[in-house]
Amino acid sequence: MTVTAGIDVGSGAVKVVLMRCEEGSEQLLSKVSARIRRRHVPAVIEETFDATVAAAGVETIDYIGTTGEGEEVPFATGHFYGMTTHARGGLFLAPEARAVLDVGALHSRAVLMDERGKVLSYKMTSQCASGSGQFLENIARYLGVSAAEVGELSRSAAAPEKVSSICAVLAETDVINMVSRGISTADILRGIHESMAFRFARLLRSVGAEGVALVTGGLAQDSGLRAALQDALDADLPGAAGGAKRPRRAREAKPLEIKAHPDSIFAGAIGAAIWGAFRYTRLDLGAPAWRSGMTAASASSQFAS
Amino acid sequence: MTEQTGQTEQAQQAQQARERIVGWARERYEDLSFGHARRWCEEFQAKAIGHLPVYAPREIIDAAGMLPVGILGGGDQLEIIRGDAFYQSYICHLPRSVIELGQSGRLDFLSGVLFPSTCDVIRNLSGMWQVLHPEVYVRYVDLPQSDDRAIAQRFWEGELRVLMRDLGRVAGLAGPVSDDALRASIARYNDVRRVINELYNLRREMPWTVPTEELYLLLRAGEVVPPELFIEKTRAYLEAARATPDRVRDRVRVVVTGAFCEQPPLGLLKTIERAGCYIVDDDLLVGNRLLVGEVETEGDPVAALARAFVERARETSVIYEGDVDGKRTLLKRRAEAAGADGVVFAAPSFCDPALLDRPMLKAGAEAHGIPCIAFKYAENSAQFQQFREQAGTFADAIKLWGGQ
Repeated sequence: MTVTAGIDVGSGAVKVVLMRCEEGSEQLLSKVSARIRRRHVPAVIEETFDATVAAAGVETIDYIGTTGEGEEVPFATGHFYGMTTHARGGLFLAPEARAVLDVGALHSRAVLMDERGKVLSYKMTSQCASGSGQFLENIARYLGVSAAEVGELSRSAAAPEKVSSICAVLAETDVINMVSRGISTADILRGIHESMAFRFARLLRSVGAEGVALVTGGLAQDSGLRAALQDALDADLPGAAGGAKRPRRAREAKPLEIKAHPDSIFAGAIGAAIWGAFRYTRLDLGAPAWRSGMTAASASSQFAS
Repeated sequence: MTEQTGQTEQAQQAQQARERIVGWARERYEDLSFGHARRWCEEFQAKAIGHLPVYAPREIIDAAGMLPVGILGGGDQLEIIRGDAFYQSYICHLPRSVIELGQSGRLDFLSGVLFPSTCDVIRNLSGMWQVLHPEVYVRYVDLPQSDDRAIAQRFWEGELRVLMRDLGRVAGLAGPVSDDALRASIARYNDVRRVINELYNLRREMPWTVPTEELYLLLRAGEVVPPELFIEKTRAYLEAARATPDRVRDRVRVVVTGAFCEQPPLGLLKTIERAGCYIVDDDLLVGNRLLVGEVETEGDPVAALARAFVERARETSVIYEGDVDGKRTLLKRRAEAAGADGVVFAAPSFCDPALLDRPMLKAGAEAHGIPCIAFKYAENSAQFQQFREQAGTFADAIKLWGGQ
């Protein structure tokens, strides 16, 4: 039995989990996330780690795995790349999923994986911000809507207003024009969601996703985005309206069900923790990375040097 | 004072010493005007001779009482304005930035420049230099490229003797560089190679002790300072590094190959290591350790230098390799010697020697079950996200799936 920590350092938030892993079964012991806002990132990481450890009440941690921007976390045992951890974390949260759509604050990516969590293919959005959580957060702020309200409002839209699907800057200008034209907030939000969903659907199709795809990252809980994404994917299917006029690849699209999990935001951290357990066993490290009484700052190396 | 407090203070002092040495090296790496080399020439009333990658016999320059200066381009710190006018878009970046350095007067303290036979572009650059800088000594240094060792030895001895004569004249000596001076210089450069090998050995054994960024900065400084100073600083660094190892990380061990001429930006080396790799062997600035083992300091020093090159030169893409199997197994041997898990082919865009060799080297490595990735850079590459992505997924594939 190993106890491992996963630390996912995103551009908007730090997510930390503790997991217990034993002979192919994994259990989530504790989880804490914290927005970075304008704080010193290393301090946020340490605080979040210490809070997660306190919540789990464990005596030792065998491996501390990082992901995201966490390469330089000084007390980490090892680092895993985002595709790898979201695939494994996604599989833990939804064992039937064979693809993950990670929508973070700055980037989005689609990952295709097999039943072991091995990454088979992946694709990221380019540097354009219009496929990111930060973009949606900015729009919500312009509209005076809290992040929690966005999904429900979007789903109540009666006549979604189309916005630029190419550029966040143009889309923001579109939104200002819509507000001045008296378009309802719900219709604007749905338009934004549809624009993002169009891009995400293309990402998922481009990696060859089919079956079930789990949305992870900060926007996973946005039910409006998920609904728009499901609609965009369904519209690709043969037999859907306008299907015959679509490009061949789209006409060959297979059904893809979009799911989310209440812990979707922790998928990267969960993946880092599970892969950390795998590495701990494979390397036969023996010594733990952290013992009760230590803080994050005093966690020591367990490798014989 | 308790024993523990004493140890902490010692560690702090070692850390400060390490930071000072790395800072010293970084200053020389970033100084595109070669201020330190210029000052050395003024102080000792001596001249300096530049040379391009990959290998130049620095011993002869040193023996003539001049400072050998490695010219490795402007990296990511130099805006190319004039250099682009000299080269087509399908030529690598190094000659552009070397032209830029020359045309902007940054190399005007050099009394001569050696152009080793690295590739056609360097050969072409030597011709340009003769036209653009008629006031300085320019020599295209033909390295021996023959399977017949006797012929290669005779040819290379002849070339070295020409350099002895010419550089003696440039230095203002009464005649060619003397054998005694060359023997003394060979002994100094034996020490240089020894200390570089020590640095590489320490990184191979404990890569968390010697980050490649620091190793590389030291090697770059070694290209523009006298050998004695490089040896002194590197020995001090080794002592400080052993006393201040970083935390050991769960990373994969990789060999980086293909970066022997145009140098990668420092950010690329940092990116590879940050992404989950320990670089445990490389061919960065390989000219400084091209001669394997000690060069004899007894007998005819020219013959000794030539013999060392012909018989014991490290295998690199700029020296003809007649044995196809030797090339196919090269990376297997290097990976085994370094205890590496995989190979990162990092070559400059449009680098003929590196990119022409790559398919055979890569196929050879993969045939021996060694995972490989390949990417291309330019010395002024500024975006590292794609390298980070590739190196990160490569490291994960090795850690979790054995590179499959």
